[in-house]
Amino acid sequence: MSQIAANHPAPDSTALSDAQWAHRLEAIANDARMHDDNINLPASAAAKIGRPMLIVGLVGLVVSAVGAVSVSLEHALAGIEIGLFTVLAISLGSLFWTMVFHALNAGWSITLRRQFENVASLVWIPAICLVLIAILEVLADGILLTWLDPTVSNHLLDIKAPYLNGPFFITRVIIYAICWIVLSRLLLGWSRKSDETGDRTLGRKARFWSSFGIPVFAFSVTFCAFDFLMSLDYRFFSTMWGVYFFASCALGSASAIAIIAAMLKASGRLQGIVTTEHFHDLGKLVFAFVVFWTYVTFSQYFLIWYSNIPEETLWFTARRAMGFDWLFKVMMFGHFVVPFLILIWRPIKKSPKLLSIVSGYLIIMIALDMAWIILPMVSVGNADSASPSVPGHLINAASVLGVIMIFGWLICGKITKSPLIPTKDPMLHESLSHKNYV
Amino acid sequence: MNKNDLISFAADYFPMFLRKPAPKYVSEAGNRVHGIVAEFNETPKVFHAAEMVRDAGYSNWDVHSPFPIHDIETAMGFKPTKLPMMAGAAAITGVSIGALLQWGTSYFLYPMVVQGKPYEAWEPFVPIMFELGILLTAFMCIFGMLALNGLPRFHHPLFSHDRFYKVSDDRFIICIESNDPKFDPSATRALLEKAGGKEIALIEDED
Repeated sequence: MSQIAANHPAPDSTALSDAQWAHRLEAIANDARMHDDNINLPASAAAKIGRPMLIVGLVGLVVSAVGAVSVSLEHALAGIEIGLFTVLAISLGSLFWTMVFHALNAGWSITLRRQFENVASLVWIPAICLVLIAILEVLADGILLTWLDPTVSNHLLDIKAPYLNGPFFITRVIIYAICWIVLSRLLLGWSRKSDETGDRTLGRKARFWSSFGIPVFAFSVTFCAFDFLMSLDYRFFSTMWGVYFFASCALGSASAIAIIAAMLKASGRLQGIVTTEHFHDLGKLVFAFVVFWTYVTFSQYFLIWYSNIPEETLWFTARRAMGFDWLFKVMMFGHFVVPFLILIWRPIKKSPKLLSIVSGYLIIMIALDMAWIILPMVSVGNADSASPSVPGHLINAASVLGVIMIFGWLICGKITKSPLIPTKDPMLHESLSHKNYV
Repeated sequence: MNKNDLISFAADYFPMFLRKPAPKYVSEAGNRVHGIVAEFNETPKVFHAAEMVRDAGYSNWDVHSPFPIHDIETAMGFKPTKLPMMAGAAAITGVSIGALLQWGTSYFLYPMVVQGKPYEAWEPFVPIMFELGILLTAFMCIFGMLALNGLPRFHHPLFSHDRFYKVSDDRFIICIESNDPKFDPSATRALLEKAGGKEIALIEDED
């Protein structure tokens, strides 16, 4: 009987015995790679990259603010939203990856997980900004969201009114923000707490809540994409829309982490901790989600094109008629063909430098994807700026750059707040000796 | 793979058309020599023996083991396989065939309006191009892998060695084949002995 009890521990006990866990902690403490210089980034080193980003970001936002007042509020808000949705995609994707790693008990990603958690915990910034934008849109009777305009009367809008109305819109955005902020704060908090206390049950807690967090994430991301991006044109609908935005989330996050990890490696940190094997796996994720994005985007376009129903095709025909056909081609070749042909080569996925260059390029592509969704809708609402103008483009570019650079500066600050890896994760040894036997 | 190997490979499948080239080494019984095997009973021993054989410059040899040994490919000095390139070529072929067959026929050879869609529309061709690309890639992955492994085959000379069946139980076996350019009956046997191999035996091909 005692034999059976030893082989089958009670459901609430941990798989590792205290002696085994002490042994592992000792092995981690004696590991030459775990010295402080290697797993901590001082604030001064991060500021070297962070400060130029802050300056560029502030300049971009100032240009955007001046443009909003003097040229057009629509263009400035569109630019800000393009940038915000790019960084929201990056941070939400990080939240998704963190929860997936927890839920699947992934071993290889432990040494990268802290960066995912850092970026995910910054989700409060784009989330709060979205709440503010939602309030602004409702107060201004719709700047980009034309359905908020009370003078627009349309049978379709009357039918959709129970969902598409100001108060419910703001309530929903606040609910999304709460979901994301709570999930990301909890996961980062538990991870940091285990660094200090070495409590190995925290991983189990994170795994339990991640499993519930993933459906919450799925619904909130889908409806957020519906509310801000799909409802730009209230006549249009696509059931694929949430997945379309999610593809950008997962891709953007994997790309951003590849850049962060490559920069940490270049600054002399994480030597022997994040190896080419980790970059290889990260590269595979980036590659997979380039293909996934294409699959989702093309399926959506293909079905709309083939069924040829006016209320769906208008989304594409309007964009083409308004002179944004070039963005469609950029998406086709720049977001799929080029990165696909580059990332299919194994040496590129394994090289931190090359992978981070491709990742940076892909983040630009995600921003252009958001521009393809948001930008044409600027001209629809107001007839006076019917065609894209040069100052309008300038304001857009400055706003996007501003938001992304400020977010980069915030990431630089966040990285220095805690060790670069979860130092006392029960499965850290798996990630430290991770190798792809291929 | 040189010319003799190729003829020998084809002769395995078509003995009615091709005769195997004359063997380099013949046993006392007059049989073709397939190679020399040595047995090991511990994983580290076979691992280090593999490194020694690799460093001695042999290219046509193999390690047989009851279970996968991590990193044995570096100990054996494997070169990266050509299969990904072959699969890539098959993918390009499949996509091109898919594009040509649809675009060529419905735009050039027999232009026809289908459902009021324009002739030059590329959208309907994509699923077929994708499917054909995937199909040929999958075929190349499976059949290319089998071909590179020399499979399927009816018989292997190692099966005539009774002790070989122990590799599915508790032994590791290194077999250096006689068509290796560096193969020499006495020097190869000496190398395997030095590497710690037991039960060294000559494998004869009874055909």
